[in-house]
Amino acid sequence: MLKEVMEDEFRQSSQKGLVLADFYSTACGPCKMLAFVLADVDKACGDKVSIMKLDFDKNRALAEEFGITSYPTLILLKDGKEIKRLTGLQQKPAIVKMIEEA
Amino acid sequence: MTEGVSYSFCESLRSRQAEAERSMLKEFAQGVYTPEKPYIKLNPYLINPLSAVVAFCTKEETAVTVTIFGKENKGNIVHTFPRKKEHILPILGLYGGYDNQVELRLYGGRSHTITIRTEELSERVPKLLSLNTEPEYISEDLIFVTPSLSALATAFDRFGEVRWHLTVPVIFEMARLKNGNFLIGTERVMQMPYYMSGLYEMTMMGKIVKEYSIPGGYHHDQCEMEDGNILVLTEGESYETVEDVIVLLDRETGEIRKTWDLKDCLIPGEGPSGGYTPRDWFHNNALWYDKHTHSITLSGRHVDAIINIDYETGALNWIIGDPETWPADKQKYFFQIKGGKDFDWPYEQHGCLVTPNGGIMCFDNGHYRSKIPEKFLLNRDSFSRGVLYQIDRETMTIEQLWQYGKERGEEFFSSYIGNVEWYKEDHYLVHSGGIQYYGEHASEKPAALLQGDPNVRSESITVEILHGKVIFEMKIEGNFYRAKKMALYKEGENLPLGEGILAGRMGVTPEFDTLIPMESCGELLPYRYEAKLTEEEDRFVFKAIFEGGQMVMLMLENEEEEHGYFISTSKNKFNALCCGTFIEKDPRNITLNVNKAGLTGTFDVRVIVDDKKYDTGIRIAC
Repeated sequence: MLKEVMEDEFRQSSQKGLVLADFYSTACGPCKMLAFVLADVDKACGDKVSIMKLDFDKNRALAEEFGITSYPTLILLKDGKEIKRLTGLQQKPAIVKMIEEA
Repeated sequence: MTEGVSYSFCESLRSRQAEAERSMLKEFAQGVYTPEKPYIKLNPYLINPLSAVVAFCTKEETAVTVTIFGKENKGNIVHTFPRKKEHILPILGLYGGYDNQVELRLYGGRSHTITIRTEELSERVPKLLSLNTEPEYISEDLIFVTPSLSALATAFDRFGEVRWHLTVPVIFEMARLKNGNFLIGTERVMQMPYYMSGLYEMTMMGKIVKEYSIPGGYHHDQCEMEDGNILVLTEGESYETVEDVIVLLDRETGEIRKTWDLKDCLIPGEGPSGGYTPRDWFHNNALWYDKHTHSITLSGRHVDAIINIDYETGALNWIIGDPETWPADKQKYFFQIKGGKDFDWPYEQHGCLVTPNGGIMCFDNGHYRSKIPEKFLLNRDSFSRGVLYQIDRETMTIEQLWQYGKERGEEFFSSYIGNVEWYKEDHYLVHSGGIQYYGEHASEKPAALLQGDPNVRSESITVEILHGKVIFEMKIEGNFYRAKKMALYKEGENLPLGEGILAGRMGVTPEFDTLIPMESCGELLPYRYEAKLTEEEDRFVFKAIFEGGQMVMLMLENEEEEHGYFISTSKNKFNALCCGTFIEKDPRNITLNVNKAGLTGTFDVRVIVDDKKYDTGIRIAC
């Protein structure tokens, strides 16, 4: 499942299972490209992971809480806890591998 | 201006030089030239404006001694060419913008002096800021510097005069070969900021004798083995990590004969330096083959360490560096400091070498000067130096035998690049090539990203030290990767004729796995992007201007296949500046290089910009 969320929904929905948070900016070319990659990842991983896209500018408090210094930043959470982080544009195999190893 | 992409085909430098040589030899053959009235061709190989060919015939076979007269009786360069009847003589070491006087003296006979007028030096010749030397150390050897920013490869004589310069941005190490030629990185960037297409074997005239294309590209350093093969720093062909692979190239064919991947002996992420990134985890900036131990010594900037691996197996032998933060299983490879003398570990060092008696030298940049982020020093508070260590592998102890530079502090500090040279015991060269000031103090940001800022000043200081005394010190404007002392001429003819040879092969340019599902909008790419596509024999180069934040992907498409190459428009694209020579002042400028290797067929070139896929009107045959 891939969806755009705001902070409140993210806090509620990220406490169980695997969640991949994508902190992105609308003014970032690699972030736009990553959206297509995550759509592919979503198809490949199905229900194994929930992909939540968070606009960096609209969720600044959350971004600060996670110590996001650049975008795109992908954070993989398991039952609400961060277990892995990737910064910058990633290719599908690297993201799928991270999810499968979680 | 019309919509679309401007297209051009660029012949290789090798081919253009071959054509220029054929034309020169034809002109010479069509005339009657004597020592008194010789044929003269300035800059015959197109890239060395301080060189010429002087050609003439003699009735008998005779040796010819050429003297390029220095200014005010200083700086003469003399070379004797072998006996011949047809003399095609390479003239090196001319002054720029000057009526050079060159004497041609036939063996045991007459002489004649000719005048060769050269053009003014280009703006890409570095400015000399100061030079101090001792008269007794004057020699014909020049100090060569290779580029790191916009100024290009240049050599100065002992009076500070420019006597050699190349007008193309060949970069990194300039490794002299046993045959007198040298190996240097091509000007053909494969991917910023990490690597070039390969190496040129060049004569001092700038003539390419051989071009080696390397599948993983070339960066930083190379050396000639005793059998003539070449050890080169490269990348793995997957490009998932960079600057962590070494290959042995066959000198004749350019094929790879042996490969060492540093991920086989180290784990990325262990012992990171301040500049570490997951992709550029080792940042291998130097290599040295030591025949006495049949091993390779390497300098890993992003692990703050010089490592040594076995030539045959690639197994790790030892590590010179601060052992802090390295895991327990690696501690056995580190040395204990011996004695109570002054001692400093190297941090983000460059240019390691092994002396004939097993000493290890490097240029210790001292960037961050700690492995603990909380203890990182600012550049203004650190120091750089040349350093010589002696290691004892039996007791695993290390001693610092010599250093030069710590005492100079900030003024000699280079956060990146630099090298040392060993001439004999107690006779060394230390090159602090990456000095950068922002206002009054050492810059805390790389100057390559600040070019054009009036507060930025970049310099390079090269020092030769004999028995503890500085016998030569040269300060020039700009940053220079390495400096080395060499003579222009080697024994013999110095000018092999004939077309340069292409050896080796290009790698396959990595594609982006995910393609954007989008149909062409049927429009040509708007002219505001100022897009240009230059095709070469083995690749094409796409240049354009995009705004930060735009999503851009270049597509190669035909009925059966599509290939996508993502183009980053981020402002801060680079984590390292190995080839800062090619950094664009305007960060909106993008360059994409795509090799033809791995592609078969004819493709339409299209460009996706955000939500539109544009045509370019260009087809590329691979």
